[in-house]
Amino acid sequence: MKRTGVFVCHCGINIAGTVDVKKVAEELAKHPGVVHSEDYVYMCSDPGQNLIEQAIKEKKLDSIVVACCSPNLHETTFRNAANRAGINSFRCEIANIREQCSWVHKDKPRATRKATKIAHSAVEKVRQNESLEPLSVPVTRRALVVGGGISGIQAALDLANSGFEVILVERSPSIGGHMIQLSETFPTLDCSQCILTPKMVEVSKHPKIKLMTYSEVQDVTGYVGNFKVKILKKPTYVDPAKCTLCDECTKVCPIVVPNEFDLGLTGRRAIYIPFPQAIPASYTLDDKNCPDISTTIACGKCADVCKPKAIDYDQKPEVIEEEVGAIIVATGFDLYEKENMAEYGFGKYPDVLDGLQFERLLSASGPTMGKILRPSDHKEPKEVVFIQCSGSRDPENHCAYCSKICCMYTAKHAMLYKHHVHDGQAYVFYIDIRSGGKGYEEFVQRTVEEDGVVYLRGKVSKIFEDKGKIVVWGMDTLTGKAIEIDADMVVLAQAMRPSKGAQELAKKFKLAMDKDGFLAEAHPKLRPVESVTSGMFLAGAAQAPKDIPEAVAQASGAAAKAVVILSQERLFHAPTVARVTNNLCTGCGMCVAVCPYDALSLKDGKAEVNEVLCEGCGTCTATCLRSAIQVKNLTQHQVAEMIEACLGG
Amino acid sequence: MAKIDTLKEEARKLLQDGKVKYIIGYGAGSNGWPAAPLFIKQPEDVDKLIWDPTCIHNLVRFLVDEKRRKGKEKPPDKRPVGIFVKGCDSRAIVVLLQEKFIERGDVYILGISCEKAGVVDDAKLAKKLAGKKVITIEVDDENRFVLTTAGGKIEVPVEELLAERCLECRANFPVIYDVLSGEKTKRAVDKPFGSVEKIESLPVEERWAFWKEQIDKCIRCYACRSACPMCYCDECVVDSIQLAVSADTTADEKAGRIKWIQRSAAPSENMIYHLVRAIHLGGRCIDCGECERVCPLDIPLRLLNKKLEKEAKELFDYEVGFDPDLPALISSFRDDDPQDFIR
Amino acid sequence: MAEEFEPRIVAFLCKWCSSAGSDLAGVSRMEYPPNVVPIQVMCSGSVSPLYIFSAFNKGADGVLVSGCHPGDCHYIKGNYYARRRLNLVKQLLEYIGLEPERFQMSWISAAEGTKYTQVIKDFVKELKPLGPQSKLRRTP
Repeated sequence: MKRTGVFVCHCGINIAGTVDVKKVAEELAKHPGVVHSEDYVYMCSDPGQNLIEQAIKEKKLDSIVVACCSPNLHETTFRNAANRAGINSFRCEIANIREQCSWVHKDKPRATRKATKIAHSAVEKVRQNESLEPLSVPVTRRALVVGGGISGIQAALDLANSGFEVILVERSPSIGGHMIQLSETFPTLDCSQCILTPKMVEVSKHPKIKLMTYSEVQDVTGYVGNFKVKILKKPTYVDPAKCTLCDECTKVCPIVVPNEFDLGLTGRRAIYIPFPQAIPASYTLDDKNCPDISTTIACGKCADVCKPKAIDYDQKPEVIEEEVGAIIVATGFDLYEKENMAEYGFGKYPDVLDGLQFERLLSASGPTMGKILRPSDHKEPKEVVFIQCSGSRDPENHCAYCSKICCMYTAKHAMLYKHHVHDGQAYVFYIDIRSGGKGYEEFVQRTVEEDGVVYLRGKVSKIFEDKGKIVVWGMDTLTGKAIEIDADMVVLAQAMRPSKGAQELAKKFKLAMDKDGFLAEAHPKLRPVESVTSGMFLAGAAQAPKDIPEAVAQASGAAAKAVVILSQERLFHAPTVARVTNNLCTGCGMCVAVCPYDALSLKDGKAEVNEVLCEGCGTCTATCLRSAIQVKNLTQHQVAEMIEACLGG
Repeated sequence: MAKIDTLKEEARKLLQDGKVKYIIGYGAGSNGWPAAPLFIKQPEDVDKLIWDPTCIHNLVRFLVDEKRRKGKEKPPDKRPVGIFVKGCDSRAIVVLLQEKFIERGDVYILGISCEKAGVVDDAKLAKKLAGKKVITIEVDDENRFVLTTAGGKIEVPVEELLAERCLECRANFPVIYDVLSGEKTKRAVDKPFGSVEKIESLPVEERWAFWKEQIDKCIRCYACRSACPMCYCDECVVDSIQLAVSADTTADEKAGRIKWIQRSAAPSENMIYHLVRAIHLGGRCIDCGECERVCPLDIPLRLLNKKLEKEAKELFDYEVGFDPDLPALISSFRDDDPQDFIR
Repeated sequence: MAEEFEPRIVAFLCKWCSSAGSDLAGVSRMEYPPNVVPIQVMCSGSVSPLYIFSAFNKGADGVLVSGCHPGDCHYIKGNYYARRRLNLVKQLLEYIGLEPERFQMSWISAAEGTKYTQVIKDFVKELKPLGPQSKLRRTP
């Protein structure tokens, strides 16, 4: 015979005001197996907890139900109390009679009846609860960081400097991300490359960091503390150890393709180094563009001129398997695709650029060596129109969200343009100016007041080319006047999108995405750097649009969260996991198919649970036609009894 | 009508060469019709095999028994079992493969196409014969049933005597087989779910009245479950009495059996039983009609299962029993599954 | 005067979204009728058709299953399985002649206390004119 105790909390008048707590206690005392039932003003107080502990000992209770507030608040409190009194913490259940009853009803007799049913249902559940101990697993004390932009770099450095080995995977030939493409950074106008390259070098020299560029994660299995990762290392056909960066190869390569680093403003060869400070400092032979490398050898010119014999056409893709305990995903962003902004002539008129292209024009190491020149005719533009919210804040046609950084970088662009072209005029079309951040508002004011940039509040309706000019039609909504500007150049502050391939990556990593395709954090307020998958963390613009300081802060936060895992010898895992009743299982594999965590597999014709992977969601239970798989402490048998209790009386 | 001479020769060879454990086919029924299941072990018995529109049974059910039997053999005879299947029956094999209940190598499939006909509805046939004894039933070139009786031949368009499920069948030839007899001609079906739509069109209370009357008749003999090739569970979830007990069954497991319904044949319990059976056959029933055929009270059980077949097709574009590698209906989803019923 | 019919409703609420949403309704002191007794499950994906049938069998006048919005499932995709599985249950129940109002599903996030309140209010309102559910109820 079970010996269950029931403790009904008044929560002052929070519960007792609407629920007759004494009646609830009395009613429950009548149920078979309930050998103790009482009420108290504040069960969570020390005297309240003492009362519970005492009752457990004196009445030799084997399970308890506390009817009180939501289990999210005091489940741990009461489970610990149960534990102190000598019963397993899983033999304590909470009946939520406050949030789900007293606070939402006024009719006292009916609220009391409902509270009784809720508590009765918890009694039925707890009677069948098993005593369980947390599962524990050893931790692989290394980390994987995916993405070599500023966020990934920062996270990798923080982890490595905390003493943990880090594998940093970047899919392009060099780390640096978008930050390395930028000219100067707001609001201080630091040179972006000057502040980033020292960190890149630190990564490349750090004894704890294994850098894998031109590589992509293919597959992730395992669980927090013990992930297994397959990484595809694409062939660069160049041995970085031998390459002396003499640049002879690019001079002879006959293939020219648009240069990604300059966003197509310049070309590069099929063999190339993305930019002079690239890490690793080496060349890559791009086999998508080198015509015959997959079949025979290429034209062979690069190898012919390479004195150190660094070029090897026989390099093959390699799949490298690594084991890690924690993963940080920092896959960054891309700008909203050109094709989507046809209304602004983006992609049609060469002098309509996006913000990153303009960064390259501003950059001292860019295609124009820092001179602002139009791509079409290499003339200095005298009138430049900047358009904010290009693709952002437009739920009907484009992205609904605010891309957050555009107000600031547009101000920076306009200011820097004026610094380069003193007699030029910059116009900014904006909807709102969002300049929250340290020194940000002052920066925007400086742009207007010191550099004379004209801010026009309104949206641009049309852009078209006429006699060598780009005509911009818009409306200044503050004056109500129609505006027409014959511009020489237009710069679009394109919306930020999750980087290309983020969706497939999220699938591989079993990460959730928000409606816009950014990676979803576990809780928008309280767990902003954790993903929904335990042991995986998010950093940078992969999670939401953000600027550099925010990305760096989040990366350090993610690294700190990863350290919480890596610094432990063993991890504990909730033991309320699925269990298979072998003689009912027919091995149909439906549960295996539905398990979101790959925690189930078939072995000798029966389903088998990997308890460490199982999160206890119970989707397998509802799928199984034979009820052969049940989640511990929430079995179908328990639910059946709970249903009965909910409908009784 | 497809001839099974080639299949018989194949069967004979298989048995002569010892390639199969035995062969399950159709033989003459004890009263002339319908045909009865026939198990053959000896090559000379192959001549007893018949094929005509009274070969109603889905022989795939016997594979469930075979699996249990094989489990007890020491050592197990791992040779495949030869089995004659119609279109619907073959889809039952596909589902069993999908659910890993059997492996492809466990069966040697002798497929027969129903071509443009199918099997007869025994009630309709009895009515047509009006007491006369039928000697043979064939399908002629003009797609008529030719019933040979002592009193002469009766010719009827197939539609008149076909089982309702055959009239609604969209795959009247085997989808999986080792050898096939007959043409893969597809029957044109106007309303594959016509019988279901008829009930759907009734107002809710009339639907209830219809089903209540039907289900109230149930005596819970479980013949439907016993005849169904998909009801292969060692223990049905609605039973709390016969937990398959083995050496490693724990006391907790025995105690932990849930009584979802009561054993008595009360109307409410009957209804829940049939709802559970129907939902468990969702995306699995291949409409062989065996449940309905064996029901001693003539409850139109296939209309329950057919409803979910219809929803699987219409809501989820899921067709049962065509692809053994497809995940089950309820162990898969699409991002754009309908949700207009959700608030 | 005869007492007004008060439908008895069982609500299967997923722990992470809908139960949290109903907690929020409580914290915000929203009011709704006390006809619903909630059962917290880990995920809407764990709600077996057997639960629904059983609840009606044990006398429920209405059954609600509520989970996270698509894409928001704490367990990544449990609610998608629930959506498909329970759609079939709903179709079947209506087909045998149970009033469609009696079995309902909703997506309620942890932030949607208001929506939870509204769903319950509407549910109770729709069930009242139907009277007690006796079709599937266990005959004593």
